[in-house]
Amino acid sequence: MIELRNVTKHYAPHTNALKSISLHIRPGEFVSVVGQSGSGKTTLAKLLFAEERPTKGKIIIGDWDISAIHQHEIPILRRQIGVVFQDYKLLQRKTIFENIAFALEVAGAPQKTIRDIVPNVLKIVGLGDKKDRYPRQLSGGEQQRVSIARSLVHRPKILVADEPTGNLDAIHSHEIIELLKRINEYGTTVVLVTHDREIVNALKKRVITLQDGEIASDIEHGKYILS
Amino acid sequence: MSLYLSTMRVFRFTFQNIFRNFWLSFVSMTVFVLTLLTVNCVIIMNVLASATLESVERKVEVTIYFNADATEDLVKGAQGYLLGLPQVRDVSYISDADALDAFMRANANDPLVLESLEELDRNPFGHSLVVSAHSSDDFPFILEAIETPEFSPFIKEKDTADYDRIIEGIQNLSTKVRWGGIALAGFFALVAMLIIFNTIRVAIYVHREEIGIMKLVGANDWFVRGPFILESLIYSAVAALVMLGLIALVLGAMQPWILRFFGDIDTSLSAYYWKNGLWIFGGQWIALSVLSLATTFIAMRRYLRV
Repeated sequence: MIELRNVTKHYAPHTNALKSISLHIRPGEFVSVVGQSGSGKTTLAKLLFAEERPTKGKIIIGDWDISAIHQHEIPILRRQIGVVFQDYKLLQRKTIFENIAFALEVAGAPQKTIRDIVPNVLKIVGLGDKKDRYPRQLSGGEQQRVSIARSLVHRPKILVADEPTGNLDAIHSHEIIELLKRINEYGTTVVLVTHDREIVNALKKRVITLQDGEIASDIEHGKYILS
Repeated sequence: MSLYLSTMRVFRFTFQNIFRNFWLSFVSMTVFVLTLLTVNCVIIMNVLASATLESVERKVEVTIYFNADATEDLVKGAQGYLLGLPQVRDVSYISDADALDAFMRANANDPLVLESLEELDRNPFGHSLVVSAHSSDDFPFILEAIETPEFSPFIKEKDTADYDRIIEGIQNLSTKVRWGGIALAGFFALVAMLIIFNTIRVAIYVHREEIGIMKLVGANDWFVRGPFILESLIYSAVAALVMLGLIALVLGAMQPWILRFFGDIDTSLSAYYWKNGLWIFGGQWIALSVLSLATTFIAMRRYLRV
């Protein structure tokens, strides 16, 4: 499903965010990528949805080598990978319904499909009754659920969540992780980038630990091992 | 995706952007209107300056004095001949009696001059013609043309003492006004370009996060750039229309004042705008659109690297 082969990411002038890392993520896996600040975990996430390009190495998603993806192919890739961010990245001037519909609209979905799908995903994330509100009228946890709902509308095979609980309290964090687990149970591969020890330990799923841009450990049913 | 569907969506996003960012839209449009106002002020100044110069040019006249033995018929023949020339706008005939009369009236308070006249036993003035031309450039040709064998022996004097100086002055002034207008227009165009560039740059900068999000959820370039491009075109069109309305209002209100100030000078600005309005406002809309589009592309390239 996802394969990284000797991927290096260098930022000028002297930063090597990732140093020749290789890994393989199977379809349907739930993988946590952990590490301290500056370990390269967010860079890894950005490489997966082509916000960054590797300096060296190959990234293959399905059969698609996205290491040298053309600019015009990026929107196509992003419609196939769901992405969730720490800061939600919602369009503040659009309602919740419009935010989710936008992801379908840019992909050319007909209006009828949009009217069918959006209420469904809103129901999945428990926000069916708040579709006409603007993001600023929702709590952090609710905004993150909208962000997850948006990432689901294309029924992606991969969901990349970069610190999705970073701005949330323990209760809302738990809700979000439960939601990601449910999505994973439906067959979506989930890559969770986090530095939250409790979440990682509670998941009991595969954990890849990054340290100084290198893979320090990669353990099935792992734990957060950094001090 | 069908082109129709995507275009309709881009239109919808554009109008949503305009209305949901009302104050930013309002400020941007106001800047566009102010820019056009500056351009139109320069146009109005040029029209008034040209009309004034033309009017002064029309007032330049040359008097041809005939000898006392030139008969009225001969002088009127010369008048007819001159009126036949396409360069001549008008020729007035002044008889010797009228000339004497005018001289006496002009010197009514000077007894010495009047006494001197009485000493003479005949009218010392001959007939004369006052010639005006369509353009001051035509005078050399007209004065050359009157030197025919039929009239030349009877011409005493051609009053060309001042017209060379006046015409040269007018032409100098006219050239200066024209170049001044071009320089002023160029300067304001440059200022306008910088203001518009900055306005759009700020608008895109304000939206940079939003644009980044659009790209992250899979929007292609057309979806992201389209609303900004259309917004620029709409701002330009609205600004041109607002300017059209403003000019119509202001000119309607100003025309009586202009007529009072400039007297008989033909300065019908309304007529000028009516005649050239399509070019003026169409040109301004196109220029604004091209400028704002170029700025949009530059600013988007600068701020959107998602």
